[in-house]
Amino acid sequence: MEIFVSQIMTGLSIGSILLLVALGLAIIYGVTGVINLAHGEFVMLGAYAAWFLQTQFGLGLLASLVPIFLLLALFGWLIEALVIRHLYDRPLDTILATWGIGVMAQQAIRLTAGGELRYVQMPESLSQSVNILGATDSAYRLFILFLALGLFALTWAIYRHTNFGLKLRAITQNRAVASSFGINAGRIYRTTFAYGAGMAGLAGALVSPLKSVSPEMGTTYVVDAFMVVVLGGTQSLMGTLASSGILGELSGYLAFYSNDTIAKALVLLAIIVLIRFRPQGLFTARLRA
Amino acid sequence: MLARTKTEVALYAAVCVAILLVPVFLQDAFLLNKYARYLVFGMLAVSLSLSWGYGGILNLGQAMTFGIGSYCMAMLLKLKTVPVHTGADGLPDFMVWNNVTELPWFWTPFYSPLFGVLAGILLPAGVAALLGWFVFKGRVTGVYAAIITLAAMVVVQLIIIDQQAFTGGFNGITDLGQFDIAGLTFDAYGSSSYYLVAICLTVTLFLALAITKSKAGLIVQAIRDEEDRVRFFGYDVALYKIFIFSVSAAIAGLAGMLYTIVMEFASPTFLGVPLSLSVVIWVAVGGRQSLLGAMLGALIVTGVQGALSESETFLDTWTLIMGLLFVLVVLFLPQGLAGAFASLARRFERQRPTPPKKPAPHTEPVANGREVESTR
Repeated sequence: MEIFVSQIMTGLSIGSILLLVALGLAIIYGVTGVINLAHGEFVMLGAYAAWFLQTQFGLGLLASLVPIFLLLALFGWLIEALVIRHLYDRPLDTILATWGIGVMAQQAIRLTAGGELRYVQMPESLSQSVNILGATDSAYRLFILFLALGLFALTWAIYRHTNFGLKLRAITQNRAVASSFGINAGRIYRTTFAYGAGMAGLAGALVSPLKSVSPEMGTTYVVDAFMVVVLGGTQSLMGTLASSGILGELSGYLAFYSNDTIAKALVLLAIIVLIRFRPQGLFTARLRA
Repeated sequence: MLARTKTEVALYAAVCVAILLVPVFLQDAFLLNKYARYLVFGMLAVSLSLSWGYGGILNLGQAMTFGIGSYCMAMLLKLKTVPVHTGADGLPDFMVWNNVTELPWFWTPFYSPLFGVLAGILLPAGVAALLGWFVFKGRVTGVYAAIITLAAMVVVQLIIIDQQAFTGGFNGITDLGQFDIAGLTFDAYGSSSYYLVAICLTVTLFLALAITKSKAGLIVQAIRDEEDRVRFFGYDVALYKIFIFSVSAAIAGLAGMLYTIVMEFASPTFLGVPLSLSVVIWVAVGGRQSLLGAMLGALIVTGVQGALSESETFLDTWTLIMGLLFVLVVLFLPQGLAGAFASLARRFERQRPTPPKKPAPHTEPVANGREVESTR
């Protein structure tokens, strides 16, 4: 029983991190159709922002979450305005441009903060462990789980129940018609991109106490997040939630029972097969073309 | 032959002659080795230009076939050293360290140099054909095809790293013999290897040019521009895509083999994401729809990188500049430097005083290689 519960909790913990990272990517891809390969670097920048605020200003992790969100949102806003905006009709080129942005971000951090590993302190109040059904789990991991679900709910509410969300869905369904009704598609896209980038920053800040912070940390996240989005379907937020859960439990299980390298290769192969046979994802909301 | 084709061939020939003449003026073994390495990258760029610029298939895993070719050559050259370097049962050294007791079945044919060289070209082509069949028969295009090529490369790289006993794992295959053919030995630090690379490059460049001018090559370009229309004409679109994808892979495999000869080892980094990204950058900067442009792009970028690599800070800053340059090229010069030169030349021609009364037709470069499909 204990092993079972702790196994499930491990999976949920991995899944909640996946959800945090993938949420931003899913929103950006679902709305604008841009595959943001710099997403992992947004996560990395969020983690470095947490490190910087902690070591330079003594700001605790919880207190720095809002500034980090705003900082990364601003960064995303700038990237959209300077680069992405010009590429909406060239989807292949957005891969290249965002890749280039990722390289630049990585290198800029390496030049300014150095290439060595950095560590972020966990908030004092969350550093104990909690007992659930006989299994112990770190309070911080539970906190991430609830925060991830909370952010998901917030995003869902914005998407479904606000004026902005309504415009967003209208543009996703048919940009031309939506524009002719007076919706400023460009502005909606830019806001979406900024929001997605901010989310990525939050994800980076939240995982920073669990893993070491390095300029290269983003690369693995972008792959994982992309998997979540492909599995979940690009149009459905619920799909993103479900696939985070599935992939989280699955990776926990695979890491427990087999060799890490082969597990990674198997997951990639699964993605290749999935893209080939169901490019629209497993959980797709039907949309009118 | 069209006048334009004639100018093109003359231009290609001039560049190739210049490349072949380098060792006449330069005897420094170290520099020759470095330049030979750049030429290999140039060949790799040509191969990507063929599939991306002409076929419209953005292969983010071009290093996969490059790496397979380089491992084939490394296996061949490793077996040449076996009687000398290892005592135990004539096994390569890393196999002895990993307690392998007999040569695995897929190593034995590499005792034959002919098999090794053929495998270095045909194996990458075969792998690409298989992947192409899987992807293009399912009508997977654009962004998704690009992601699949990337994932496939990482899978192959992970397998090579994991199977340490048979591939040397992280360390790769080192301590190689020298390649020889028909009594000629190719020393990595000598003009012989440089000539080998330069001649192979010349041959592939003209072969690739011939393919792009052939009927199949024209159909491939038509598919790039309007895939559905070509399909409605009754052509088997997937088959043509598989064709250009495999040819590109074969050239990449050849480049990989030459790289092993020049570097004297093979490593899993040859199949890595950083190299693959670099190839895409070279081709984008040089101009993906010009074979010569792509090749020169590779020579220029790697050349500058090599010159700056003397100092650590310069190299770091260079990576930053490279990223910026790449983003700018994607934004403002989708056809790369070659495209910019071509449109400059056209403008120059139009301004000459001789043109007839009728104004020259507006010949802006068509926005090729652009994806027509929407991702939603």
